[in-house]
Amino acid sequence: MSTILEVKDLSKQYSKVLAADNVSFSIDEGEIFALIGPNGAGKTTTIRMISTLIKPTSGDAIVNGYSINDKPEKVRESITYLPDEAGAYKNMTGYNYLKFMANIFTNDKDKAETYVKRAVEMCGLGDRLNEKIASYSRGMIRKLLLSRAVMTYPKLAILDEPTSGLDVINALEIRKIIKDLANKGMSFLISSHNMLEIEFVSDRVGIISKGKLLVVGKTEELKQRYNVANLEEVFERVVLEHEVY
Amino acid sequence: MKFINLLKKELRELINAQMIIGLVVSMSLLVLIGGIMGDAIEDAVSNSGDVYICDQDNTEFTKRVIENLNAMGYNVNEKSVTKEDSVEILEELNINSLIIIPKGFTEGILKNNAASELEYISRIKSTSAMASLRDGSTSAIESIKSIISNLLMQEGYGLSEADITVLENPVNLKEVTVVDKKSANVSASTIIGMASTQGMIVPIVIFILVMFTSQMIISTISTEKIDKTLETLLSAPVSRLSVLGAKMLAAAIVALINAVAYMIAFSSYMSGMLGSTLDTTAVIGEALTMSDILKELGLKLTAGGYILLGLQMFMTIMIALSVSLILGAMATDAKSAQTLVMPIMIFAMIPYMISLFMDVNSMSNIVKIFVWLIPFTHTFTAINNIMFGNWPVFWGGLAYQFVFFIVCMYFALKLFTSDKIFTISLNLGQKMKLKKVKKG
Repeated sequence: MSTILEVKDLSKQYSKVLAADNVSFSIDEGEIFALIGPNGAGKTTTIRMISTLIKPTSGDAIVNGYSINDKPEKVRESITYLPDEAGAYKNMTGYNYLKFMANIFTNDKDKAETYVKRAVEMCGLGDRLNEKIASYSRGMIRKLLLSRAVMTYPKLAILDEPTSGLDVINALEIRKIIKDLANKGMSFLISSHNMLEIEFVSDRVGIISKGKLLVVGKTEELKQRYNVANLEEVFERVVLEHEVY
Repeated sequence: MKFINLLKKELRELINAQMIIGLVVSMSLLVLIGGIMGDAIEDAVSNSGDVYICDQDNTEFTKRVIENLNAMGYNVNEKSVTKEDSVEILEELNINSLIIIPKGFTEGILKNNAASELEYISRIKSTSAMASLRDGSTSAIESIKSIISNLLMQEGYGLSEADITVLENPVNLKEVTVVDKKSANVSASTIIGMASTQGMIVPIVIFILVMFTSQMIISTISTEKIDKTLETLLSAPVSRLSVLGAKMLAAAIVALINAVAYMIAFSSYMSGMLGSTLDTTAVIGEALTMSDILKELGLKLTAGGYILLGLQMFMTIMIALSVSLILGAMATDAKSAQTLVMPIMIFAMIPYMISLFMDVNSMSNIVKIFVWLIPFTHTFTAINNIMFGNWPVFWGGLAYQFVFFIVCMYFALKLFTSDKIFTISLNLGQKMKLKKVKKG
């Protein structure tokens, strides 16, 4: 199985805050990797660096063979990014939004049509896609955005809190979509506060706190290592352990 | 108690650092403009007693008229002229207005028992409200009329009572207005009145356009940032330059459509205003339309003038857009996005108000440089500069605007191609609260 993402000692220093401190991990093809941590832990900063939105102070990440520092434009061809609590262009219809984004990813009309068709099927919004996004519920917008994020079958889909604010049914649907796509070979980098969701959906997790990636491993392995019943307890133990020492 | 609690919360929401800064800036702005205008009015009033007279008749009667004028407090400067052309006369004497008492003036009144002609030549350099306050000639003419009437009433000069009654209005005024190198037989006040209509509408149009385009781009950038659609776009395989360029171009096209629509409407409004025939007393000899007179004086905007004005407007819109790109990126929420349009509003307000009342070109050097540094000034004064042929000021202003635009675009590009686009923010209220929390 080939490595899609390799993060090497990635750091980001803002004026007074070290938001990411030598973060290193990797994601294989078809793997779902979850980055979990409290608010302000450095999840979004790490994700933004990998998405080429912000430049690292030091370190690098190789996405599908391309460095985020040297070839950011090539990296952007291999990834899609869904920010936390993202919105969409309210004056567009759902369908036009998908079409607009498909044409951002490719100049080929046929390819763009395939992307849109795929997204239309995946989001399950039916005729509502012909209505303006301004009339959509939060769950509908999230489904639209998720289908947009995966419609190109990117090598790596980066999803920041993919199910935040969604009801159980919508969240389950989204988790199912992610699982199915991973089985088809798409890799995912997910960040979330929802430990239950992470336990259900991810292959491996990385626990991040105060900019440092403290632990990386499979959920079951981590539960055994810390002798606890669930990921929430693993998270608590890891964070407390590193605060003490 | 519950009501007080609610009231406190509402006041805390409304009275914040942004509101206080806005209030202080607005107050300072009014004080500043008031000061500038006060100085200009003071200057105009101090010159209002100066009267230049050329007494070509040179009789005892005209000498008495001038003596009386002096006695009324006017500072009468007697001049003699060698030229005949009105433009050359003012250039020769290096003054802006001259009252000429022509040869035969006294004879006309005292012997022919008819109103005599008094010639008044004046130069106008702008159409601002202050332009009509430059010197005391206009009121001096009225004073000359009343002095002559009084002299005739009191001393008779051998005229019968019936003749004196006829001479209650003893002076016919021939007015010549000079603009740059051209002149026309029409009163300066008529010209200023009509040309200022032209000069007043354009600043209003510019102000609306500047505010409209700024609001538009600040709103689009801040909405993209707040909704995180910008993050989605910038992580897609498209260059940041394309994202920025598309935004700028779209806003410029919309603004340009607006500018052209406004200019067409304005041009049709002006032709309606200027198409009416003037009263024959205003233009001696023949009945002309105001449009013809303004054209004769070079004050009517030609097709070339409209193109230059359009160019100036376009440059102004581009500056407003580039500044708005930077300001829009600082928004953290809808409220701060609304506040961010304030700097543009202030820098549009200062030249807008000043240009309505004053001629920027005739202000003191320090004030002039301060006002000229505001890029929007050059657009607000463009129509005056085009009409009065102040070409170095016009082209200099346009060049400055171009440089200003390039500098703003450079910073906007730097902002969009760096991390700053996601980290920059302007939330004074929040920063102050954070400091308080830290101290606490």
